[in-house]
Amino acid sequence: MGAIIENLDKIINVSLIYATFRSATPIIFAALCAAITQQANILNVGTEGIMLVGAFTAVAVSYFTGSWVVGVAAAMLAGVLIAMIIGIGHIKYGADNCAIGMGVNMLALAITKFLLNVVFGMNGSFSSPEIDPIPRVKLEFLSEVPILGEIFCNWSIAEWFVIILIIALQFLFYKTVWGLRLRAVGQFPEAAKTAGINVNKIKYQAVAFAGMIGGLAGAHLSLGYSTQFVENMTSNRGFMGVAAMYFGGANPVFTSLGCLLFGFADSVGARLQAYGIPSQFVLMMPYIVTIAVLSVSMAVKLSANKKRQSSLN
Amino acid sequence: MKKLVSAALAASLCLGLTACGGGAAETTAAATTVAATETTAAAAEATTAAASEDPIRVCVVYTGNLGDKSYNDSCNAGAQQAVTDFGIELKSLEGSTAEEWESNLLAACEEGYDLVIGASSNIADYITEHGPNYPDTKFAVIDTTVDLPNVQSISFAQNEGSFLAGAAAAMFTEMTDIDGVNEDAIIGWVGGMDIPVLHDFFTGYEQGAKYINPDIQILQAFAGEWSNPLKGKELTFAQFDQGADIVMNVASGTGAGVLEGAKEKGLYAIGVDLNQDADQPGAVLTSMVKRVDNACYLTIQSVVEGTFAGGTTQYLSLKDGGVSLTDFSVIKEHLGDKFPQEIVDKVDELSEKIIAGEIVVENYEGFGPAN
Repeated sequence: MGAIIENLDKIINVSLIYATFRSATPIIFAALCAAITQQANILNVGTEGIMLVGAFTAVAVSYFTGSWVVGVAAAMLAGVLIAMIIGIGHIKYGADNCAIGMGVNMLALAITKFLLNVVFGMNGSFSSPEIDPIPRVKLEFLSEVPILGEIFCNWSIAEWFVIILIIALQFLFYKTVWGLRLRAVGQFPEAAKTAGINVNKIKYQAVAFAGMIGGLAGAHLSLGYSTQFVENMTSNRGFMGVAAMYFGGANPVFTSLGCLLFGFADSVGARLQAYGIPSQFVLMMPYIVTIAVLSVSMAVKLSANKKRQSSLN
Repeated sequence: MKKLVSAALAASLCLGLTACGGGAAETTAAATTVAATETTAAAAEATTAAASEDPIRVCVVYTGNLGDKSYNDSCNAGAQQAVTDFGIELKSLEGSTAEEWESNLLAACEEGYDLVIGASSNIADYITEHGPNYPDTKFAVIDTTVDLPNVQSISFAQNEGSFLAGAAAAMFTEMTDIDGVNEDAIIGWVGGMDIPVLHDFFTGYEQGAKYINPDIQILQAFAGEWSNPLKGKELTFAQFDQGADIVMNVASGTGAGVLEGAKEKGLYAIGVDLNQDADQPGAVLTSMVKRVDNACYLTIQSVVEGTFAGGTTQYLSLKDGGVSLTDFSVIKEHLGDKFPQEIVDKVDELSEKIIAGEIVVENYEGFGPAN
């Protein structure tokens, strides 16, 4: 314990800010993917699978075309295709979200493993200098500024984009006609139908859009965060995204705050290990945070509901 | 029509489910049903197999995936060499969770292989538990010891190899004229799972580093997973932020992220198990090579030649060529004139001292030649 206090400046320092954001970014993408469908009242358990397929497609296409732009575009397209399994299964045939979502996750795990073997003849992982990664934005004018330079100097394009995406989605959900329709469809489909909204069309649009974001989330993992594909490289980030989405009630800004909390737990944990905290405890932290965050958000939601009901009576 | 489509959809979903339940679940299900009908047949077969010319059937159960460019690939290289040399029949079972490892091992046992190799110490507990139920199957375990009459164990003096790696890192972190090397005497170490054999690595690494500089600080972290390179990368960045400029990985697939992180930051890493010097050229100082391939090959050879000795342990040390550092050639090319030749000379000197017994490298509890 003494070692921790002694080295506190090495645990809590400026680089922790970017580390937090860096580990949170993939989870934010995943959470936004889940938030879009959640607004239409579709629980997107398949986020993990959509991401994984996106990650593989991005690496494969970037490798063969030599262009990260094409790779990312292909990943988004692949994400839409996978998401459509959920869309068609759930919207058209009324399949249970959890069942079809888990089905998609397992399908993604198997199909990426299979394709890794067929396309690249590899097991486990694939990396190559031929893969064109998502470039980083070097802000030269900031590199001399002491603190800001260290925080913002070397972000990946995808990391900048996620901030734009949060704001754009916030605007889209709450300030546009489409957003209003989307929320209407999610909250009270009968009323939306009466108002002349094509409920299924909006739901399909939401699923397709979520697929694009999920594919992008995967592309960021395999082309931005690292430059390789590894089997099951999403490592439950999709599920953590779904948990964060619950925490934020599918509101993009609150959801992202939840993700940052996970990222923070992860980054502090990575630093604490060096000073004699048992690794088992540190590795448990993100999950404890998940449970704590969900419990708090559920409690808040319940008490808010209760209040609303009592004011009605 | 509608019904037909939904039926097709349901069918494809089921297909997806079984396909990805992974090798593990599926194979055990298959294995147990087959086993029920085949145990008697298998027993009969086993006796006839010895007499006839059937190839020896070997199954390697990995605790992780192939393609890690590290431990598992090294083991597989040895097994593949045995296929070429002895014409054995080889089956590899991969899996990334403990449930998969156990069910893969059971599947291998039930299938009646002549030799079942548990590729790492992660699987030792399952062999201890299930080995006695299959007295006619020969087992081998690499990297640790299982004390059963039908199990042959092979372990390594990873502490000796890590001692050299630690010493090299401790010297390297002082060479501030090399790009990226800072003034702090801090080095890092990232492990896969928190298991005893990794502590044996760390014990040697720490002793080696302190042999060079008693005041050096060593940062330690475990990813908790063998195939999560992003986690490995994040842990490496955290250690770099805390003042380390060189980080050793002992982390199979997770380690790929350690090496990538070093390259990305313009800093340095140390490879493990296989020669990883060229994986991220210029960022890997050296690799602590552990001849897992030899261990695997020798075990198969012992079965082929009938010298398999259950209940024994082989201990491959620095002296036997079981562990060593690479020749630093890749980093030498990248650093050019700045390459510190004195590290290589010192490593050679230390290596001779260890072999001569002048330096005794400590073991983590439960490891070492006596065990």
